[in-house]
Parts: sequence; C-alpha cells; structure tokens
Amino acid sequence: MAKEEEYKEMFLAEAEESYEELNRLFTELEKNNQSRSAIDAIFRITHTLKGNAMGMGFDAIAELSHVMEDIFNEVKLRRMTLDSTLFQSLFRANDILGDLIQSVKTEEKVRYKGIRTKLQVALRKAKAYYEAQHESTVVKEDAVANQTGSTEHTEDEVKEGDSCEWIPPNELDDEEGEEEGDDEIKGHKIILSDMVQVPVRKLDELLNIVGELIIEKDTLIAQWERERGSNSDLARLHRITSDLQYSVMDVRLVQVGFLFNKFHRVLRDAAVIENKKVDLVLEGTESEIDRNVLKTMSDSLVHLVRNSVGHGIEPSEERLKLGKSERGTVTLRARNEKDTVYIEISDDGYGVDVDKIKAKAIKKGLIPKEYASIISRAEVLLCLFEPGFSNAEVVTEISGRGVGLDVVRMAVESIGGKISVETELGKGTTFTLGLPSSMAVKAALLFQLAQQEYAIALAYTEAVISMPKAEIHKINTGLISTYLGKTISIVFLQDLFDMKSMKEIEGKGSLYKQFDAIEGNPNLDIVIVSYNHRLVGLVVDKLMQQKEIVEKKLPAPIDNVALFSGVTILGTGRMCLVLDIVSILSHLFREKRIGANIATLG
Amino acid sequence: MSDKTEYTIEDVQREAEKHQKSKEQSELMQLIIFKLAGEEYGLSIDQIKEVVLTPRIARMPQTPSYIKGVTNIRGNIIAIMDLEQKFGLGEGLIESAKQDYTLVVENADFKIGILVKEVPNTLTIEVDDIDKASTLIQYSTLDASCLMGVVNVGDRMIILIDMIKLIESEGVKTSYT
Repeated sequence: MAKEEEYKEMFLAEAEESYEELNRLFTELEKNNQSRSAIDAIFRITHTLKGNAMGMGFDAIAELSHVMEDIFNEVKLRRMTLDSTLFQSLFRANDILGDLIQSVKTEEKVRYKGIRTKLQVALRKAKAYYEAQHESTVVKEDAVANQTGSTEHTEDEVKEGDSCEWIPPNELDDEEGEEEGDDEIKGHKIILSDMVQVPVRKLDELLNIVGELIIEKDTLIAQWERERGSNSDLARLHRITSDLQYSVMDVRLVQVGFLFNKFHRVLRDAAVIENKKVDLVLEGTESEIDRNVLKTMSDSLVHLVRNSVGHGIEPSEERLKLGKSERGTVTLRARNEKDTVYIEISDDGYGVDVDKIKAKAIKKGLIPKEYASIISRAEVLLCLFEPGFSNAEVVTEISGRGVGLDVVRMAVESIGGKISVETELGKGTTFTLGLPSSMAVKAALLFQLAQQEYAIALAYTEAVISMPKAEIHKINTGLISTYLGKTISIVFLQDLFDMKSMKEIEGKGSLYKQFDAIEGNPNLDIVIVSYNHRLVGLVVDKLMQQKEIVEKKLPAPIDNVALFSGVTILGTGRMCLVLDIVSILSHLFREKRIGANIATLG
Repeated sequence: MSDKTEYTIEDVQREAEKHQKSKEQSELMQLIIFKLAGEEYGLSIDQIKEVVLTPRIARMPQTPSYIKGVTNIRGNIIAIMDLEQKFGLGEGLIESAKQDYTLVVENADFKIGILVKEVPNTLTIEVDDIDKASTLIQYSTLDASCLMGVVNVGDRMIILIDMIKLIESEGVKTSYT
C-alpha cells in the first residue's frame, strides 16, 4: 500500500540520518570520551531509532540499536567507560546498523548477531563489574587502590577504575566463539537520503508567498476581465497558481499518527497519577492535517486525554462492579472529511450527567432559570466549555483543578475549528474536534454592507436566503423569523456595526434600528450562520460570490475587535474584513433575552 | 536657539554632519514635522518608515472614532489613525481628500498609519533643546508618557510625541469586553 511505502520512506530517511549522526558523534566521542552532549545524543538517537524500527517491524535494527542504547545508558550513568576497544565495536556496530538500514531497501541479508552479542557481553561485564564495585567497596579497595587510593567511590573514580580494568578484547573473542569472519573494515559508504528536511519556518514563508501570489493573481485576472472581458487567457496562470498552492499545502501536511503516538506516554503518566488502568486505542492515524494546526492543538489534546483519564474513566474496582472490563479505554480517532479533520477523544467511563450540569449551569447563571425546562441537551453540554465551569465535582468525585475546557475551546476556535461533546451516562464521553486541514486558505462568502465588502468563512455558513421583510417579526428585544420550520434569530449586521461596543446589544431596541428604518416590504439578503447548534440570520445589503481567501491577522492595535477575525485583500486591491462568527454569536447569545430565542429552537 | 530653520533633506544631512563635527558632545535628533489642527507636532525620524498618499481605507466598525480603519500598503495591512481626533483637536480630517498623506510609523511589533494633511517636512534639533518641563505635560491632553517635550525653534513651537509609546501605553480600546 502507498501509505506503508510512505511510512517506510520516512523511516528510512530518519534512520539514515540517525546513522550519519551516530557516525559523527562516535567520531567526536572517540576524540573526547567525556563529551556528555555526545553521549546523551547517542543515547537519544539510538533510543528513537529502536522505537521507530520496532514500530516498523525491522527487528534487526531494533535489536542492534537496543543494545547500543543500553550501553550508552550505562555510559550516561557513568557506570561504564568508553575505551578504544569498545569504540572499535561501536563503530563496527554502527556500520552494520547502516547496512541493516540499507537492507530495508535492498532486502539483502546482513549478519548482525555477532556484533550484537559482542556488545551484550561487554555490557554484561561492565554491569557485573560495576555491581561488584558497589556491593563491596571495601573488599575491592585493593583492586582499585592503584588508581586514586580513595575508598570513596565518587562517580569519576569509578569511571577511571572502569577504564583500567576493562576486559581485554581477546577475552571477549574467546568467549564469543561465533564471531563473524568478515571482520575486515569495509570501505565506509556515503549515503544520501531521498528525503529533505525543511524547517517549518521556511514552509510558513513559502505559504505566505503563495498567499501573496494568489492575491496578485486575482488582481491581475480581475483587471484583465475588466479590460478585455475574458478570463480564459489567464486560465493557465490560474491553474498553475492553484496547483502551486495545493502542492505547498500538501507539503505541510503531516499524519495525525505522529502526534497520536506521543499519547501512549501521556496516557500512561495520567493513569499512573490517577491510579487507574487505562488502554489507549489509536484509529485513523493516517489522516493528514496541517502541521501548524496539529501543533496548535497538541496541548489541547493532551488536556482532553488527561481529562478523560482523570474524570472519565472509573477506577478498576468500580468498573468491575459496573460490569465493565477492568481496564478503561481511551480512544483517539481521526478522520478526514473534505477540508476538515475530525479528531475524537472518547472514553468508556462515567459519562456526563446532563441534569447535574444543567443544575450547575443554572446555579452559575449560565442558563436562565425560566428556560431550564425547554433547553436542549446539546445546549446544556455547551456549558462545559464556558470559562470557569469546572465539571469536576459534578461528574466525578475525583478532585481536580479547573478542567479548563474553555481553554481547549478557545484554541480550537482560534484556528477556525469547532468542538462538541457527546455523552451517555454510564457509557462514556466523546469530544469531537472539527479542525481545518489547512490554515492558509479558506473558502468564504463575500457580501456587501454600506458599500464595503466583508467575508464570512464558509465553515460557519449554513445557507443564504432572501426573505421579505414581513416575514421577520419583533419579539422582546430581538428579531425572529422561520427558516426550514425552525425559529431563528435575525440580526441586521449594520446594527452591530453601528454599535460602539458589543455591550450595546443590551440596549433597548438596539437590534431593530435597521428593521424599523426599512419601508415597504423589500426582499432582504440573509446569510444564515451557525455555530454550536445556534443559528442566526445576518441581514446584509447584497450577497456576492463565494471565494477562496487568504486571511491575514488584523494588525495591532486593532487586533482584538470582537466583530472581525482577520482581513483579506480582494482581487480589486480592496480590503475585506472577515467576520468572526464565533465571537459574534457568543456575544449575541450571552444575552439572556436572546437566550429565550435559542431555547425555543430545542 | 534661534539659528535653526527649516531644511531640505540634503541640507539636513549636510547640517547634521557639520553639527556632528562642530559640536561633538551635543546629540542631534531628526524630526518629522506635521501639523494637527494648526499646531506643529514632531516625531523622531527613527519611528517613521515612510510617507505615502493615503490609500483607500476600509472602515472598521466598533473601534474608537480615531481609528479610521485598515488599509493595504504594499501588501502590508495596517491600521490608520487620526491623531486630531485622538487628541481631541478640531474636527478630524476628511478622509476622502486624495491629497492626504499617511505617515507610516513602525517598530518591531506593529505598524500604524497616521493621517496628515500636508507633506511632512524634516527638522534637525539638538536633544538638549527639548524642554521637558513637567508643567507642559500637565496642561496637555496627551498621555504624559508619550509626550516627549516641546522644542522652541525661532517662533515655532513643536510638540514632540513618541508614537510607539502612545500606542503601547494606552493601546486602542476596542469593543471586546
């Protein structure tokens, strides 16, 4: 399968690099066998190589790097000293390691057992020697006396002792009858990898430039169309820039598995702290996502996994009582769907008691009391993501710090993603993150308001409709209408734009100034946006086309305006602000009066 | 004090060199001078990146009225500010007038544009000539930290402001609550 081939390719690239790096480090270490940085680096590299090789099923590489790792663990702990004989073996081992890595490609047989055993024996002897030294320092004193005469075994002295009392190589050979015959030093081959490693910073720059190019291309095409009335002349330019853009985006994609695999450790640590038995299951690790999206989300995922272990999974005894398997399971699942990558974190634990959450939300004032009876389950669960809403004491008895799901939500929303939660009491909880697979370019809907263009990310656009004014009704402080049989809030965007701050939403009549100003019964262009089951129709002056935009951050000091998330430059060279739907909706729905409107959606 | 007048850029450079030679210990400072509501204001030339004809500005709702919006200057998106409004001087500039200029102020963290009516000019002063009298600050509508002082050049009085401090210290109050 192509995926496996790609894995193999990546493994080989990394392994070849490790091998070259090891060669360099051994050479460095041979000159100065006290170099801690080199020792640590070798330990780290062999450790990683072992792990990767095991994962790929290349047992020979794994075994050989394992014993090398063990040796350097001892060296690191100053329980074993490097001398020239050992270096001979290590260089030889590294050469064979290189051959083994090559053999993955060529499928040649490489004999490695001899050198592995040799290193194992050296390791065993060193260990035995070290233990003997430490068990009976007094008895051994005579043997060591000739070095420093000290009875105190400081680390350095032990090392000196080691190097002097190193087992001579011939002894080794005697013991190891099965020594490879072809021990002559082969010519060292230089290998160039088929992969190039590129710092992400360079990719970011590249993508930025491509973004600029797309804007320039749009400008050019728009101008061309105005002057010549045809755009087919530039079709090639259009295609090439678009290909370039997708190629660059593709380069930035990494497999979710690279992040997921790090969670074995995260989960284990969390389980140890909580004293629970939990297994991690990974699914869909081959899904691809932009590296920066993954990086932005990694802390949040750690948080959610710890959360699942801490608050989701029950202790073993309790699980057994409940008739569940002794060990809990946390599943990390990823899947691609068009331009979105869904990552799910689910556990088979307690589940969330929606009624308890509701009671707490009412107590905290997040849900107005009057609407408690009609509010939907999904609405209640959204309270989990409100700042300061720690569900710890409600859901489980385990004391914990504030869960901080609001922080996770902010991280998700900062990159234009969505988070939701599904739960069943007694069965478990699933958090779902819908993340953009690329952050660079997003599809957006353009519209006009007061002679100026604005954009809404298509991800939040539910529908565009045209509706006569008569179908919109005033209630309380807001406006409502019916869309596909559902009651939705209607907001004239101009009303929001006319406000000095979002606080004015509370002002009486602030949301129907425009409505009152309209005479007759004209058809109004409405963009229906949605976020977290909340639908709002935004009235605009004129709908325009759908377009791929390169969103740029707003410049300081106006970078935290509630209405906008960013800005883009249109083909005409004009600026186009991008609406921050998440922020706008959360401001609108923070008001209890509008809360009444959503409650009726249920 | 009174020997300084207005210079062209070449003059300034020549003068600067001359001054540098003759008065080694007195530090010189180059200013960009612009007018706000009839008064002359000065910014250190180090804070200015460029002066451009004001491009089309996209209005930015829910920002203070002195924020005129955002614009695109050579692919960079920057905010445009009207200091007359910011300082509460006069009516503010009419943005439609195409001959308006934008001073682009820059530091490592941000860029911002300031609207001015006339082409700004330059002036070299001696740092010692800046009057930092605290009484001035008291009567000023400016935040004390961004008012560097006042320079008297002949019968001209130039108010020196530190734009970077102005933005950083006060920030722009936006609608996010």
